Formats: sequence, structure tokens, C-alpha cells
Amino acid sequence: GQEFRFGHCRVQGVELQKLRKAFWTVKDTVQAQDHNTSVRLLRKEILQNVSDAESCYFIRSLLKFYLKTVFKNYYNKTTELQILRSFSTLTNNFIVIISKLQPSEENEMFSIIESAHRQFLHFQGAFKQLDTDAALTKAIGEMDILLTWMEKYYQ
Amino acid sequence: LADGVAVLPAPQNLSVHSANMKHLLTWSPVVVPGEIIYYSVEYQGEYEILYLSHLWIPSHWCSSTKGPQCDITDDITATVQYNLRVRATLGSQTSAWSTLEHPFNRNSTILTPPKIKVTKDGFHLVIELEDLGPQFEFYVVYWRNEPGAKEHVQVVKSGGIPVHLETMEPGARYCMKAQTFVKAIERHSAFSQAECIEVQGDAL
Repeated sequence: GQEFRFGHCRVQGVELQKLRKAFWTVKDTVQAQDHNTSVRLLRKEILQNVSDAESCYFIRSLLKFYLKTVFKNYYNKTTELQILRSFSTLTNNFIVIISKLQPSEENEMFSIIESAHRQFLHFQGAFKQLDTDAALTKAIGEMDILLTWMEKYYQ
Repeated sequence: LADGVAVLPAPQNLSVHSANMKHLLTWSPVVVPGEIIYYSVEYQGEYEILYLSHLWIPSHWCSSTKGPQCDITDDITATVQYNLRVRATLGSQTSAWSTLEHPFNRNSTILTPPKIKVTKDGFHLVIELEDLGPQFEFYVVYWRNEPGAKEHVQVVKSGGIPVHLETMEPGARYCMKAQTFVKAIERHSAFSQAECIEVQGDAL
């Protein structure tokens, strides 16, 4: 079957189509709340600058941020059942992915880890420049950008 | 009674029966003679447990159901721990919640050997596997039933469709068996019983 291959990190047991379907059911609702259409957090140059070797570190930082900051705070903004169910599918599968991302931390990896972290900080920096609610809404709305980027590593 | 007001008892004996990735939550019914009791089921995944423990999500199919059971398959959408709870309702009366004693993880589902149907279409050896849904793949092992015969393995991506395995030789006897594999939980079932079929005609 298919699996995620972020550099030398392997993740099995998560079906990307299920994540896409979960987000697709709420995409329009969520993205309609984003009024900062000229701003993008997951900018093209950030994603393009993440090399294959860096991808494991980058996705780990990004998913942790989404779980601990984005989803956690956005959940309080919604009581809509379909959104709760879709987010439950996304967040719990992200927990599975993170639990299986075990990048090796050998010394010569330091430059790769640092570069991946720099790309994540670009994203986080853009997030912090927005008002909190606007940033949460935009980050959630950009899930399709994230899932599309993750698809490159789904083989 | 509580302060003289009848209190509806909470459902008891919650348990999950899970086989081939179909998960059924069951409980002992609350009985009030002459009355129909409705039940509500809610769930929390590991994320909600860790980060939003106050948050419970109503079950897809059982936010108000009569039977003392609930198909929670569509609620369990990740291979993590899930908390589940049920309460009873009778008119304006609502019971306390009863929570499943141990969290449920779908990687504990029972995987049964798949049913297989072996046929031949002329000299073509054909197998049809039980349709268990999109999460299932099948490993089919087949061999020519003679000493020293080599085993062949073929992965079949879905059940319910006849699959051509091999062109048989006249007079030969072929056998096969199959097991399921579930990607989402990275587990496979035991093999089915072997089934054999023979082709008429003189062996070459």
C-alpha cells in the first residue's frame, strides 16, 4: 500500500485521501471566513525551499504547530458538527503521522535540521504578523496547500 | 430517586465488538416499562483527549438512537485511542453519561480469513475474494498441486471482482489460499483454507 516518505522518515497507516476528503467537506465554510486573501502563510518559496532531506523535520514542526496552536484554538471558534468531525479526522491522523516521524539526529544532520527549522520559522513569523483570529482562520484554510505539499511525499 | 424526582439510570456494560474494521458499540438497555428509551453516543479521539478534554463529538449515526447499539465505524477515522460514552433519554429526563471503561483503538479489530471463490474460465484460473471494503488488500498464494511446486504470490487490491491468476495446463490441479491486509492498521489476517480446482484434459 501507499505510505509517506519524508526524506528517510516513513509513515504508514494514514490514508491521504481520507484527510483530503475530511478537509474537503469543510473547505468552503472555513475559507469563506478568511478575509485576508492577499496574504499567504505557506508561501510557495517556503515549500519550494524545503529539500527532500529536510522534509521530515519541516513537516514535524509544522504538524506540531497545527495541533498545539492552530486546531486547539480554532476548535473554540466552532460548534458546527461537520467541522468538529472533519477536524477530529485530521488532527487524530496528524497525531499518528507525528508519532511515526522519527528523524535521526546525527551531527552532520545539523545543517539540515537548521534549514528546515528556518523555513518553519518563516511560516510561523507570517502567522504571528496577523491578528490571532485571522491567522487561525487562514492557517486552517491553507490545509489544502499543506495536503497538496504532503502528497508529493505520498508514494 | 433524587429529591423525589425519578432519575433515569445510565446505560451499563458498554463494550465494542470490532471485526474487519467494522466497529459496534453495545450496552445493556435501560428498561422503563411501556416507554421508549433513546440513546446518544459521543466520542473523543486522542487529539481531543490530549488538547481539548472538554470536547466530545456526537456520533455520526447515533446522536439519538433506539437500539442498545451503535455502529461507530464512521466515527473512528484514525488509528489512535478513542473514548466513547452513552447516555439515555426519556422525554425530558436524561441519564448520566456512561463512558467505555477502556479506550478503543481500531488496531485491535479482529481480522478474519477472507472467503474465496475459485473458478475456471476455460484454462484460466480465476479467484474472487470477499468484498470487505476499500481498506482491505489481499495476498493470494497459489500453486500447482504437485511435489516441489513453487508458490506464487499476487496482491489483489480489492474484493468482489473476479481476478485472473494464471493460465492452467490441461490435467493439472491448482490450489490457492488468501489473507487480508489492512493498510490503516498495518495488520493482516490468517490465511483462508486452501481451495483447489482441476482442469480436464490430458496432462502435457
